[in-house]
Amino acid sequence: MMARRRSGLPAFEVLMLVAGVIFVLPCLLALLNSFKSNTEIIAGPLALPARLDLGNFDYIFRELKLLRLMLNTLLMCVLVIAALVTMGSMAAYSLTRRRMFSGALLRVFFLAGLTIPFQIIMVPLLKEFRMLNIQFTYLALFLHHVSWGLPLCIFIYSAFMSTIPRELEEAAAIDGCGQIGLFWRIIFPLLLPCTVTIIIFWGLWIWNDFMQAFIVMGPERGRLVFVQLWKLLNDQYVKDWGHILAGVVALSAPVTVLYVLMQRQFVKGLMAGSGK
Amino acid sequence: MSAAQALANPLAAGPAVPRLPAEESRTPARHRKRRAGAEDWVASLVLCGPAVLLYGGFVVLPAVLGFAYSLTDWSGWTRTPHYIGLANFRELAGDERLYSALRFTLFETVLIVLFFTFGALLLAVLLDKLSCMKGLIRGLFFYPYVLSILVSALLLKYLANYNDGAVNLALRWAGLGRWAQDWMMDPQLVGYFIFGMVAWSSLGFFTTLYLANLQTIPLELYEAATMDGAGPLSVFRHIQIPMLMPTLMTNSVFSLIFGINLFGQIVVTTEGGPGYRTTTIGYYMYWLGVINNRQGYASAVSLAVFAALLAVAVAQVALLRRRQVEL
Repeated sequence: MMARRRSGLPAFEVLMLVAGVIFVLPCLLALLNSFKSNTEIIAGPLALPARLDLGNFDYIFRELKLLRLMLNTLLMCVLVIAALVTMGSMAAYSLTRRRMFSGALLRVFFLAGLTIPFQIIMVPLLKEFRMLNIQFTYLALFLHHVSWGLPLCIFIYSAFMSTIPRELEEAAAIDGCGQIGLFWRIIFPLLLPCTVTIIIFWGLWIWNDFMQAFIVMGPERGRLVFVQLWKLLNDQYVKDWGHILAGVVALSAPVTVLYVLMQRQFVKGLMAGSGK
Repeated sequence: MSAAQALANPLAAGPAVPRLPAEESRTPARHRKRRAGAEDWVASLVLCGPAVLLYGGFVVLPAVLGFAYSLTDWSGWTRTPHYIGLANFRELAGDERLYSALRFTLFETVLIVLFFTFGALLLAVLLDKLSCMKGLIRGLFFYPYVLSILVSALLLKYLANYNDGAVNLALRWAGLGRWAQDWMMDPQLVGYFIFGMVAWSSLGFFTTLYLANLQTIPLELYEAATMDGAGPLSVFRHIQIPMLMPTLMTNSVFSLIFGINLFGQIVVTTEGGPGYRTTTIGYYMYWLGVINNRQGYASAVSLAVFAALLAVAVAQVALLRRRQVEL
């Protein structure tokens, strides 16, 4: 491309770099100010902290029992992803490769899920959890995350599965491999790139989730990171920005570190959501 | 939209591609199948059953129940709903607050669609021209999309609040104190505040879709254009824009749906206020169904909106198809 070939053009790149830094300025400001006390923040939001003050982080970690919340959220991530990967890949395999249960009807049944907005099912879903007597529980949130994620997960797996040659399965079937065993031993390992995408997408989705957990579990029972951060702030009458920004920084840090380390996979994983 | 798009996509086309080898080995496979009919059934049940059960039980069933509840006067979680026919839908027609929510949602949607369709396009074309630091600069623009909506909401709340927000402090420090505004709660400005938050956090997503499309433009096109003496502007106008048409259409559909469903961002910032100024349709449904205990009516509202949205999306996809054929 023309501009690319005209190699010595650093002015443009520098300009774009500056624009990019300005774009993430709110995050940099948050990082900077999370090390300052509230009075210091108000006195000069752009000033460097006088000393490395970890008081905000100390408060956030103690007040929220943040480590515990992080463990809860992480556990939720792991369980939901495990369920999605297992059920999603098996169902996608069945839908794309097998005759039985693979009529167009079942495909449309799952695809319809991609068009339903959450607000439509929100109220009846809460009622259903109430009738099952699991309202405001982790089980309810787990069931919601998995069932809500399944259509997209199946869609992503199915798209990938059509690139795997069929001869493989036929050879394995002739060698006398059982049908489920055939899937787990032959097909599933080949789906690894797809599985990585799914782990990243839902890992981030569930870690970052506030809305779903807030609606399904409520602010009291939902001992998950962002729900409790919201509750802490909502209970504050006068906002202490030092605490708020420290919370924001602490909860975004794991995501940010992973993003910096594996930017390419992250972007790819997140764009998988464009099916939704 | 995504259903229509997906139907044309690999899931539907999946089995069709490698059909040939399957055709060859059909005879032995059919024999085996007939012998192992029961085993086949069990295998299919194991493979598909759990997914069908969960998705059917916690997505499809509530969606269907939503239809049923929209015909009832259900109010309060514990009370039994009574059938009241179409009364909810009649109430809908005269609901002033619904119209106000509709207006605000449309206002936001127009801004969002314009920005994510054309703003993201411009940014993507610029980012595509980078010859070094590509990953770094693109990474910076994508970064806010990685963050939780609660995080982006809190960051912008911090910047924008009246007393001790960074924007106003900076203005006062620069002696421009009279320009200081309550960016977040001023009824005139709050709509732009919400838009700014959405635009900032999701720009990376829409730009990346464009960038992926830009990679598919064959180099020969650029070369031919340069040989004909085309400058960057006419390359943009006559090569990049037409080649980006498919993504332009998808992005406009995505951002439309994004705008109409605007909901989480409202809960974490203004909670529909000041007054009812920033109540979007999504927030109104949530307010009716979860906070205000009018579950029957909330279901009716959500169904009506869903039907309208589906119609718009289908029309837009049809338009998209026609445009692509023309190209």
